Amino acid sequence: MSAADRHGALSLAPSYYDALRRLTLELAGINLGANHAFLVETRLSRLAREEGYESLDTMIDELFKTGGSKLAVQVVSALTERDIHFFKDKRAFKRLKEIVLPDLHHKRGGGRIRLLSFGCASGQEPYGMAMTIDRMSGQLEGLKVDIVGVDYPSQALDRARQGKYTHFDVQRGLPIQDLVDYFEPAQADWVIKSHIRERVEFRDIHLLSTLDGLEEFHAVVFCGSLPHYSAPARVRVLRGLSGLVKENGYLILGEGEDLSQMNFGFDRVDNKSGLYKKREVQIEPEIDETLKVPNGRTTFEKASKRRKVLIKPKSS
Amino acid sequence: MKTCLIVDDSRMIRRVAGRIVKELGFETVEAVNGQEALDKCRVDMPHAVLVDWAMPVMDGFDFVKKLRELPGGDAPTVVFCTSVRDVERIVDALAAGADEYIMKPFDSDIIESKFALAGLV
Repeated sequence: MSAADRHGALSLAPSYYDALRRLTLELAGINLGANHAFLVETRLSRLAREEGYESLDTMIDELFKTGGSKLAVQVVSALTERDIHFFKDKRAFKRLKEIVLPDLHHKRGGGRIRLLSFGCASGQEPYGMAMTIDRMSGQLEGLKVDIVGVDYPSQALDRARQGKYTHFDVQRGLPIQDLVDYFEPAQADWVIKSHIRERVEFRDIHLLSTLDGLEEFHAVVFCGSLPHYSAPARVRVLRGLSGLVKENGYLILGEGEDLSQMNFGFDRVDNKSGLYKKREVQIEPEIDETLKVPNGRTTFEKASKRRKVLIKPKSS
Repeated sequence: MKTCLIVDDSRMIRRVAGRIVKELGFETVEAVNGQEALDKCRVDMPHAVLVDWAMPVMDGFDFVKKLRELPGGDAPTVVFCTSVRDVERIVDALAAGADEYIMKPFDSDIIESKFALAGLV
C-alpha cells in the first residue's frame, strides 16, 4: 500500500503525478522519487487552497493547460520545500563559527563581508547565521556582515521576509535563550527582532539559473539540498556557486554532502568534510615583447658570436 | 538506563510525554506536583526532569529552585514543559535553574529537539 493510499484516496489522475515529477526535475533539477503522490497531495492541496482554487484538480488543470510559468514555479517551490528548522545542520554552523568567521575576521579585520544562504527556504538558516554572528560580536570586533538568503519565489520565502514563525517552528532546533534574546511574541506566533531581521536580505532567484544577478560572497552556505539534485543539476548548481564565492572564500555544505570527484575550483579545508576554500586564480605574468624578440638565432649562436668579438686580436 | 522524572498534575500529559521520553531511551518516573517530585529526587536523583509550571501543592518554579539547593541537585537537566509563554516567565525559569523550556502544546519532535539541545540525547 502506498503512503497516499494509507492517507486516503488520491484526487489526481495518475498521469498528473508523472507530469509533476518531470516538471520538478526540469525546473528545479530535483527528483521527487517514486513515492511522491502523498507529497503532491498534501503540499499542493494546501497551495491550491491558499491560492483560491476550487480544488487541487482545478489548479493542476490550469497549470498544464495554460502552462503559466508563475504557477509552475509556485507548484515546484511547494513540492521542493524542505523540512527546515533552526540550526538544522549543526556541523555547518560549527564550521561557520569555529573556522570561517574567525578566519574572515582575521583577514578582513574591520572590513565588511558578505555571506550567502543558498536555498534558504523559510529563512531559518540565514537568521541562524545572523544570531550566530550576534553572539560572536565580541570575537568579531569591527567586522560588518551582510547576509543574503536566496531561493525560488515561494510562500516559504515570503514567510522568511516577515521573520514570523509558529510555536512549533521556534521549538525545533532553537535554544530557549535564543528565543528570549532574538524573538518577540506576536499573538500565537513569534517574530524575529528587528536588529536581526535587518541583517538579512532575501531575494527570489531560480537556483539553477546563471546567478549573474548575484554579487560575490566571502562564504556560501548550501546545506541539505545537494543529494536531491539530479547529476546534471548538481554540476550546474555547483558551477554556479563556484562563480559566486570570492577567491579564498568558503563553501560550506551540509552533513554528509561533498563535492565528490569534481572540485569546481575549491580545495577541502584541513581535510574537513563539507568545508571548502576557493582557490586563488593563478595569473600568468605579462610578457614584455621588447625583451623577447624572436631572431631565429639560438642562444648558443649568440654566445659564440659574442665570444668571437671578445677574443678578436688587436690589430698591430 | 537514564531516568527522566515527569512532573505534571495532568495524567494525560504524563502519559503522552512519558511515551515520547521512553522512545528517546529513558526510563520514566512520575510525580503529580513539585513536592512529590522533590521527595522522589531526595531518594533517587534522576538524569532529567520534565516539569510543568502550574501545579497544586508546589509549582514547577518552586520545585526547580528547591531541587537546585539539594545535594546533587545541580546534576539533573531540567526542562520546563508548560503553557506559560511569557518571555519574562521564561527568563525567570532559566534564572531558577532550568536548562530548556517547552511551550505546550508539544509533539515528539519538540521534545526530542529540546532534549538534544540540553545534551540529553
